Amino acid sequence: MKAQEFAIFGLFLSLGAAAFGATKHDYIVTGSKPDHLFVVDPAKRTIASEFKIPGANDFVGTIVPSPGGRIAYVLVNKMESIAGIDLTTGKEVFRADLSTPGERVKCIFAFDVTPDGKELIVYELPVKLGLSEYKVEDTRFAVFDTRAGLHAEPVREFPAPRRVHTILARKDGKSFFAIGFDLYEYDIATGKRLGMRGIRHWDYPGHSIPDLLAFWPVSEPTGIFASPVYSTVKPPSGHGAPVAKTALMTLDLATGKLAFHDFETTSALIFSAVMSPTKPEAFGVYSQLSKIDTGNYTLARRVDLAHTYYAVLVSTDGKEVYTAGAMCDIGIFDAETLAEKGDVRLTGCTDQSITSPRLIRR
Amino acid sequence: MTTAKRRYDKSGHLRFGILLALAALVATAPRAAQTPSGAQALQAACGACHRPDGPGRLARISAVRKTPEGWVMTIFRMQHVHGLKLSDAQRDALVRYLADTQGLAPSEAKPARFALERRPNVPDLELPGNLQTMCARCHSAARIALQRRDAGEWLKNVNWHLAQWPTIEYQQNARDRHWWRTASTVVPAELGKLFPLHTESWRIWQHHKAVDLGGRWLVHGHRPGRGDYWGTADITRGGDGDYRAAYRLTDEHGTATDGASHAIVYTGYEWRGTAKLGTLDTHEVFAASADGSTLSGRWFIADHPEIGADWTAVRAATQPQIVAVSPDSIRIGSRARIVVFGSHLGGKISFGPGTHARLIARSADRLEIEVAVDSAAHPGYRTVRVGRASDARSIALYDRVDRLEVTPAYAIARLGGGRIDPVSAQFDAVAYEDIAAADGKTRALRLGSLPVAWSVAPFNEEAVRDRDVDYAGHIDAFGQFMPAGAGPNPQRKFSADNTGNLFVVATLKAQAHPAASAKPVVGKAHLIVTVQRWNTPPIY
Ligand code: HEC
Ligand code: HEC
Repeated sequence: MKAQEFAIFGLFLSLGAAAFGATKHDYIVTGSKPDHLFVVDPAKRTIASEFKIPGANDFVGTIVPSPGGRIAYVLVNKMESIAGIDLTTGKEVFRADLSTPGERVKCIFAFDVTPDGKELIVYELPVKLGLSEYKVEDTRFAVFDTRAGLHAEPVREFPAPRRVHTILARKDGKSFFAIGFDLYEYDIATGKRLGMRGIRHWDYPGHSIPDLLAFWPVSEPTGIFASPVYSTVKPPSGHGAPVAKTALMTLDLATGKLAFHDFETTSALIFSAVMSPTKPEAFGVYSQLSKIDTGNYTLARRVDLAHTYYAVLVSTDGKEVYTAGAMCDIGIFDAETLAEKGDVRLTGCTDQSITSPRLIRR
Repeated sequence: MTTAKRRYDKSGHLRFGILLALAALVATAPRAAQTPSGAQALQAACGACHRPDGPGRLARISAVRKTPEGWVMTIFRMQHVHGLKLSDAQRDALVRYLADTQGLAPSEAKPARFALERRPNVPDLELPGNLQTMCARCHSAARIALQRRDAGEWLKNVNWHLAQWPTIEYQQNARDRHWWRTASTVVPAELGKLFPLHTESWRIWQHHKAVDLGGRWLVHGHRPGRGDYWGTADITRGGDGDYRAAYRLTDEHGTATDGASHAIVYTGYEWRGTAKLGTLDTHEVFAASADGSTLSGRWFIADHPEIGADWTAVRAATQPQIVAVSPDSIRIGSRARIVVFGSHLGGKISFGPGTHARLIARSADRLEIEVAVDSAAHPGYRTVRVGRASDARSIALYDRVDRLEVTPAYAIARLGGGRIDPVSAQFDAVAYEDIAAADGKTRALRLGSLPVAWSVAPFNEEAVRDRDVDYAGHIDAFGQFMPAGAGPNPQRKFSADNTGNLFVVATLKAQAHPAASAKPVVGKAHLIVTVQRWNTPPIY
């Protein structure tokens, strides 16, 4: 990868190099319809750079930054292509068009890059397009070489279960997690299923089958993926309607430790969550911003937001929380008080919608 | 592909008018099936993708039967998703041919006619087992029940669904189950049994000889919020097989409206008209009875299918006949003007015990009668007789109004905004008196529409707090609720849309009240004002 990245980096150095400062700090990468990719400097409350993604086709979905934050892999083209955009130059340096003539392939938001940056693991839903008939085919994982350039084709393919919504590479680079009905783990090289742990089949006494749908594969800066999970429990009296509970699911991408802990009787919808790097806390977002005490698993604080956001990030120093996704701005909040500190508006954005804003450090 | 392009004609309906220009193209023979031109046109338009899969057969197409609207929707998709090029005239001719040769028998379409008639806020059909959750959460069960195919072809339809909307498996009420496993096994098997391609009723209907609907008809109907209407329809059949109709209608307030319609009858009974009623542009979805003696259904405003009226037409008979009596009730101890509508009305007029009828005016098909009801008359239904004609529906005599029933009891209105019109909700109020019967039970006496005042109120605490009454829209004097504009409203919490959760309240007006009763008589319905719908297909 490095060779190609470098060549293009060198070529366009003069155009975009100003965006990143000399000392390392946090940036937020986000996207918006129709074809925008933004690099936001949250400390300065400004847009550091803004690019157009070629062939986005009015769709900007999941964003996966390369390990050094040099490239953003973005799901575009109605979920049928992944474009690798160099975040310094804005140049497209990688492209995998998943569909081929006669076969339409969509990726429902689930893909990740390996920790060495060399491969992308993509969850694919293929469909055969006949003359007068469409036929659903079995879902699969496809692995791409990130150095393949603009016409990448899969180097390996493995069978995959249906209804997977998140892929997360393990930190050791040997396997990856796929979250769907349950949590599956696969060998990246062979596609062999290494294990399965319960989500639908979780072992959480007294709880119903949970509902989990995560389209925001954020594990930075802690290396722990977190997501709200909804289920019900029998009422304490044993009679009457079941009580809705919100739990936090955490998956440690280094150790593989999976845990679920209820933290409230559901009183607000939360779309996505992120772990604090400095305190036993997590943050969750939708119409409200919530802080979850992950020491005691209680709701620590909750504030109303001006509008809904789908995604939430936290700064590397743990001091600021960023709300993004859905509409056209990034909200900046104090991690301690959840008081609003600022807001960055994304120019030319129609909506961030389902994109997964990510935190990079450069 | 833009959203705008994918929307149906603004009317969400066939452009029947185009068919005027089509006289030469469309077969004049009674059954289009007998004309080779239909089959040839189908082969020419569709054959490039739909290859023959048997003698005289085209893959997929020959394996399904649908209503005219069903064919419109499919061909619309062929045009806008698959790039089929057709003129409107060609498309309309194909729809006509396909609906005639691969349509639904009257008995097959009957349970889901409400969907074709675009009746708003009526309960959908219930599909058995898990079919309802699997298949009737994006669109009505009626859309499915208005098609016929065998299990193998249902499976192809299901494949197309997931191929076209790959997120189905991830949606609520789908991700909680192995959606695809069920959708590709149990669902097609069950649908193939419920709605198979080959049925006895269709076999028989194909041999049914189409009846010419030309002639004079007597019409009556009810328009929610506005009351009853009646009149005549003169229908003629043109050389092209299309029908033209001229209407002369009067409503219960005495307002006269003339109208004209141009209609096609598909599948031998499905009347689809494009009409002008006074100043309104309307569509008509009627069904002719097998013997061609009645034509009934609903008409609605072309751009606002939620606004319309019931319609029943019967052939003007040579015998005396009462078609409508309006209004439906008279208060005991009062005097009222009643219109009796029908044909050959002559002879003695009677409204039953306790009443005195006096003829005020008479025309060919209409009597205006003053009816006085004795204070001592017993509440209940009375049969109306004019000479030898008697009306099965009769008229109610009442001494008080006990309650108002507002219909629909539960309704949805949708916010407008941008290119999308709001969808209003039309309410109707029917009055009842509850009479203690000899057996100790109470019997409901239906009094019909009485004058009411309309208002809205918050449905619950949340609606009070969010001031839904102020933001969601307003209701007019005819019981039509017009929703507000769409889009985030900065005055509301979370910049919410102008959605609302409301009671619609009808309050009986004083003139219909007997003096004794002081308590206001009210009826309520539940109204949800929600967000826009992005397209308006002919079958929800
Ligand atoms: C350009 C190719 C093309 C042409 C031309 C075409 N179709 Fe199709 N048709 C398709 C494809 C692809 C499918 C399967 C996907 C779908 O259902 O949309 C299909 C499916 C269908 C189906 C099955 C859908 C269902 O579930 O009921 C019917 C019926 C149909 N077409 C009718 C027609 C008719 C009638 C015509 C000509 C007026 C036509 N098609 C012309 C491509 C075409
Ligand atoms: C995710 C939403 C969704 C679900 C779930 C769904 N449908 Fe549909 N269906 C649609 C839409 C949208 C259309 C109209 C597509 C068009 O014509 O452009 C449609 C059209 C249809 C049609 C008419 C197709 C034609 O060409 O005439 C049938 C029949 C149908 N659906 C049956 C089913 C069945 C059976 C199921 C259950 C397996 C189902 N639907 C589940 C969205 C859905």
